[in-house]
Amino acid sequence: MAVSRVVMPKLSEQMETGKIIKWLKQEGERVQSGDILAEVETDKADVEMEAFGSGVLRKVLIAAGGQVPVGTLIGVIAEPDDDITAVVSEAGGGAPVAAAPAAAPAAPADRPAAVPPQPRGEDHAARTPAPAAGPTAPARPAAVGTAAAAPPAPPPEEAGRVKASPLARKIAAQSGVDLRLVQGSGPGGRVVRRDVEAVSTGAARPAAVAAVAAGEEFEDRPLSQMRAAIARRMPLSKAPVPHFYVSSEVAMDRGWALREELNGLEGQPKISVNDLVVRACALALRQHPGVNASFQGEAIRVFHRAHIGIAVALEDGLITPVLRDADAKSLAQIATEARDLAERARQRKLRATEMSGATFSISNLGMFDVTDFSAIINPPEGAILAVGTVRRIPVVTDTGVGVGRRMVLTLSCDHRVMDGAMGARFLQDVKQLIEEPLRLLV
Amino acid sequence: MARSFDVVVVGSGPGGYVGAIRAAQLGLSVAAVEDDRPGGVCLNWGCIPTKALLRNAEVVHLVEHAERFGIKVDNVRADYAEAIKRSRGVADRMAKGVEFLFRKNKITLFPGTGALKSKTTVEVQGASGTETLEGRAIILATGSQPRSLPGVTIDEKTVISSNGAVRNEARPASLVVIGAGAVGMEFADVYAAYGTKVTVLEALDRVLPVEDPESSALVARLFGRRGITIKTGVKVSAVRAGGPGAVVETGEGRIEAEQVLMAVGRGARTEGIGLEGLGIELERGFVKVSPTMETSVKGVYSIGDMAGAPLLAHKAMAEGVVAAEAIAGRSPRPLDYSNVPSCTYCRPQVASIGLSEARARDNGREVTIGKFPFTASGKAVALGDTDGFVKVIADKASGEILGVHIVGPEATEIIHEFAVGRTLEATVEEIVHTIHAHPTLSEAALEATLAALGQAIHM
Repeated sequence: MAVSRVVMPKLSEQMETGKIIKWLKQEGERVQSGDILAEVETDKADVEMEAFGSGVLRKVLIAAGGQVPVGTLIGVIAEPDDDITAVVSEAGGGAPVAAAPAAAPAAPADRPAAVPPQPRGEDHAARTPAPAAGPTAPARPAAVGTAAAAPPAPPPEEAGRVKASPLARKIAAQSGVDLRLVQGSGPGGRVVRRDVEAVSTGAARPAAVAAVAAGEEFEDRPLSQMRAAIARRMPLSKAPVPHFYVSSEVAMDRGWALREELNGLEGQPKISVNDLVVRACALALRQHPGVNASFQGEAIRVFHRAHIGIAVALEDGLITPVLRDADAKSLAQIATEARDLAERARQRKLRATEMSGATFSISNLGMFDVTDFSAIINPPEGAILAVGTVRRIPVVTDTGVGVGRRMVLTLSCDHRVMDGAMGARFLQDVKQLIEEPLRLLV
Repeated sequence: MARSFDVVVVGSGPGGYVGAIRAAQLGLSVAAVEDDRPGGVCLNWGCIPTKALLRNAEVVHLVEHAERFGIKVDNVRADYAEAIKRSRGVADRMAKGVEFLFRKNKITLFPGTGALKSKTTVEVQGASGTETLEGRAIILATGSQPRSLPGVTIDEKTVISSNGAVRNEARPASLVVIGAGAVGMEFADVYAAYGTKVTVLEALDRVLPVEDPESSALVARLFGRRGITIKTGVKVSAVRAGGPGAVVETGEGRIEAEQVLMAVGRGARTEGIGLEGLGIELERGFVKVSPTMETSVKGVYSIGDMAGAPLLAHKAMAEGVVAAEAIAGRSPRPLDYSNVPSCTYCRPQVASIGLSEARARDNGREVTIGKFPFTASGKAVALGDTDGFVKVIADKASGEILGVHIVGPEATEIIHEFAVGRTLEATVEEIVHTIHAHPTLSEAALEATLAALGQAIHM
């Protein structure tokens, strides 16, 4: 019987490292090809990992809680009498790996709790990024010792695999840009020259993965994959993308009434205020292709289809599933699909394709009674709409002062893609569509 | 009764036929309109038949110099009419190939001249009447035609263009070529090889003006050595009948020749295809297009020569793919116009990509230059073909390959190593770390790159 190597799978295009949430099979247990071996946390979702060989799970090399780069050997499947020492030693000596914290008995007091397991690969590419190779790292956790024969630890910026062109690497090195902070615009997310140049003019600091510390006065909580992804991506937007904002107050009286009427119908999906906003944006994007656009370094890419990302808050972060071709969908379709996407986002059951490709995004904090706010653009998109709550406020009418429902929309725009007037005209159309909501039905 | 298609392609030259095939691959129904044979100028009257003629010229040269290889050949008779016949055969075969590809991809060919009637309608005037085609999207790919000088009419008898040159079985005893671009230099090469007394006139200060000056200088010297007269910085004021056929008046006196070949460039074919009616915008004589090749009218695309410089078949083909993919709802990667190779197939061949040395320096970069002559290449010496060099211009700080210029044997093939490298954003180091087979002409690419780093081995 063949000895099967179990490696950290690449579960999404952007995935660089994965964290084992738990092993569903234990050492010594028999597994069939196709059995679920473990649950893995990526930066986007929790995913079940299948076995690709049959036999006995002879060795677990990375325990639950461990985070390793894609391609790292994490376990071995073989028959009981197969010799697996060669495979295991390839992973760095075969020392059994306990859960991460315990592997660091000699760690100094300021970095105890959650040091991820040490890399066991012999080549640089298989090493975990930054965690243990923090700039100061005075005393390495003991587990490092087992890899003593391996080449010296690479500097942090080399650790982990970043897809980048040779020229992008050189320019990044020369201008002090950390490639891991750069979002690639090349094929398959490859970082190319223009990406580095775009960032090097902005503020790109190395993604120092903070040493995890704890004490009486504070505790450092390790970054979840998602929080790390957000932390990595947002400065890529806020710093290099020149944001400007336009706000508008929308009269929601008619929209509210229409929604109540629609929701009173039997057998129709429930329509939320956000669904009205999504539909209005989708229609307005068709009229304003300049807003449905992305800055590409040497060109502005104007999208012919409107894929709208809808931000969904999760316990430890947020995710933006994408409602594709929103401009071609009815309000009912939007309501049904948006609800399904949001539910599966919360269960972390989205497919990779449902999490990328948005051309415009909407973030709604209305449920938290937020009056208005401004959102950070999710690159490479050109704009994002922030939606506040619907408030009942006194409004001036023809006859005096009455009560009206109002909602504030704030559009964040990439100034490289569009100018104030363009953003304002788009917002004006969105406002008009919502204020004359029958337009959303035709 | 109009016939409906997803895409109607007007013109089936290299841009049009590639666009049509790509669109068909993506599941679209495609009609192609062609007023000549499929394949356009490139396959029928340009790139392909001239390559056949140049190969003949090369064979003539080899036979005439066979003694260098210790081979005695007597009574060599090179028949120019036979060269043209062979060239026509090659073109025919390639055009048939396009017809086959159309059938294979279920593309319907409509012979005739197409003109836009609306942004979704093309009217085809064919030999058998008029037909109306409806297209969800239209790709215009009508190409270009030879230009002349003001006041000079191309009659294709005394004053000929490439169209006449590629057809005429009779070869003049003397020829003045006006314009030392790729077309002028290639025909000068062919005619001279068969014994025509050729004079090349160029208004600018050097031949192949788009190439690096070093390339121009070497080609001019080698042409001169073969008895071709080259005059640069010469303004032609008039061409009239007289002498053995034509008299060319220049600022430096008159030149008489049996024929004049007008090779001063090509102009977009934008007339009579209904652009004005739809208000499709032009820019300096070419159709204005977006990065995905869409014109100012939504749903109408334009590719190839008519859509702007460089007027090269391979650029048109790439644009055809972009247009087809955009129509199919893909998000094609727009062309990188700074990375289109330029090739001239005269002997010696000339190829380049990226910036010339002067342009690279103009950009304010600190550059490093590596040059390697084919005289130091074992393969070139073995071939007995050592004229030329590879010149690599790189950014000193990053190693970026800014430009590459090659003159010499198979220059037009060797250039692609650098085209791929630049597409992948490889630096000089990646080229240097690539093991090049020995002995090959491509080793000169490696050595020139090494030279840019000051590390050339064989020099």
